[in-house]
Amino acid sequence: MKANPSRPKIQQGGSSTKKKTGTRQQNVESSILVVGDDSLVAEYSAVISAHHFQLLSPEKIKSLKAFAKKVSLAIELSNLNLEQKKKNLILLDAALPATTAILSSSVTVSVLEQTEWITLKHRLAGIAALPSLLQNSLVEVAPSVHTLEATMEVVKKFFASLGKEIAIVQDRAGLVLPRILCQIINEAMFAVQTSVASPGDIDTAMKLGTNYPLGPIEWGEKIGFDQVHATLDALFNDMHEERYRACPLLKQLAVTGKFWSK
Amino acid sequence: MSLHIGIVGAGTMGAGIAHVAALHQCTVSLYDIHDDIIRRGIERITADLKKGVEKQKFSEEEMTAALKRIRPRTSLADLDTCDIIIEAVIEDLLVKKDLFKKLDAIAHHTTILATNTSSFSVTSIASVTKKPHRIVGLHFFNPVHLMNLVEVVRGEHTSEETIARALEFCQQIGKTSVKVNDSPGFIVNRVARPFYGEALRLLDEGVASVEEIDRIVRSEGGFKMGPFELMDLIGVDVNFAVTQSVYDQFFHDLRYRPHPIQKQMVESGKLGRKTKKGFYNY
Repeated sequence: MKANPSRPKIQQGGSSTKKKTGTRQQNVESSILVVGDDSLVAEYSAVISAHHFQLLSPEKIKSLKAFAKKVSLAIELSNLNLEQKKKNLILLDAALPATTAILSSSVTVSVLEQTEWITLKHRLAGIAALPSLLQNSLVEVAPSVHTLEATMEVVKKFFASLGKEIAIVQDRAGLVLPRILCQIINEAMFAVQTSVASPGDIDTAMKLGTNYPLGPIEWGEKIGFDQVHATLDALFNDMHEERYRACPLLKQLAVTGKFWSK
Repeated sequence: MSLHIGIVGAGTMGAGIAHVAALHQCTVSLYDIHDDIIRRGIERITADLKKGVEKQKFSEEEMTAALKRIRPRTSLADLDTCDIIIEAVIEDLLVKKDLFKKLDAIAHHTTILATNTSSFSVTSIASVTKKPHRIVGLHFFNPVHLMNLVEVVRGEHTSEETIARALEFCQQIGKTSVKVNDSPGFIVNRVARPFYGEALRLLDEGVASVEEIDRIVRSEGGFKMGPFELMDLIGVDVNFAVTQSVYDQFFHDLRYRPHPIQKQMVESGKLGRKTKKGFYNY
């Protein structure tokens, strides 16, 4: 999974880069390190190990120096606590060889803003990591202006080996689907809060009336209301638009976790 | 006990409701102002029923029996003994209010008066009647014989008994009902707004293209259709009108603000599949 095994930097330039990334060979020895929000780490770890990759336990990030050479790819999946995300990325960037790519969720902060926290900006690429989405067949990937082609090659090969197609989108907090989905869930929450209908009836109506695969309330429960709330909060802070203001009921559920009335 | 249902308006929605009600043992009085409008409505019902027979959803005998239960009516007064009268005329508040005033005067005092409106307040329509407790929203979805949902809308004065009878009717005609308190867009048209609105913003901001957003929503989200192909199917003009209506009814709450791209497409005649041009070419 290495972008470029023998050189100290991921090389600039298209054609030579491609040649180098083609020479990866040490999958057996190498491992993937996944850190971040518990629900996302669990989901990513399950899919990754099901595809016969070695996984390092997330705690290894604390003693990363000893394992750094074994890490072929690092994945940072914090959406909820950006301070923790920053700490994780700084640790990864300091310890991992310059040729090792880092994938990072950019649902609640853009990749470009994340590159401000690290030194080797070219190795970072963003993904739309929101709980439950990895069950489906496509992953959104967002390069920043610093991301090198060699890094993207690593990302493409990695998801191809998980059997996923990718869509490359512009680097904006929330990317595409998290932004649409969290807005729908938020609107459903406003409808519950103002007693327009019961949560169950809202789920039924959206599934039968517009063919949604899941009702917005049950979807919110599956993703985690804390994750939905964090996504909306990030969009609101990014754009300062009323439409991204999180419903107060959603904010409460982000703390309590469950939908008590169901 | 088989119900006697009156339907006012033999267009797409009225005919669809008549089809489903008649197929589920209701006697249907189908009203419109001209014989030929009703005839066209019944032709549509017949064609849709034939498809049902072909797909073996029901027998030819059941189809024939259903068609026999539909009675063409060109006088509103003939609807006086119906258990439920469902209004399915054009989405024009003045036309609907005028009709409900007449129905309120004609119909037996136990008759429920229902509106199939998707964009007006049930309370507002009921305000012109003397017995607003018997007015309810029955919001069916197009095509009625294929879409299983009915939003049962409770206006400010709608009685519990009216709601209970409306729910019972939905069950009798094989529909799943949900209860909604009268509010802009009810459930579906309101909660679905960001699916389109946010997609239009993403497109406008250059985050991804029409094709890519549709592909992402389908393959990453598990939706059957992406927002742009769905807008093309529904009609960009129809979708824009719903958005505009919800926005207006919420007194221009910014969450519902329509997007200029959509308005421009409507004005340039790119309405989707029906004009062969929309977000895609057909």
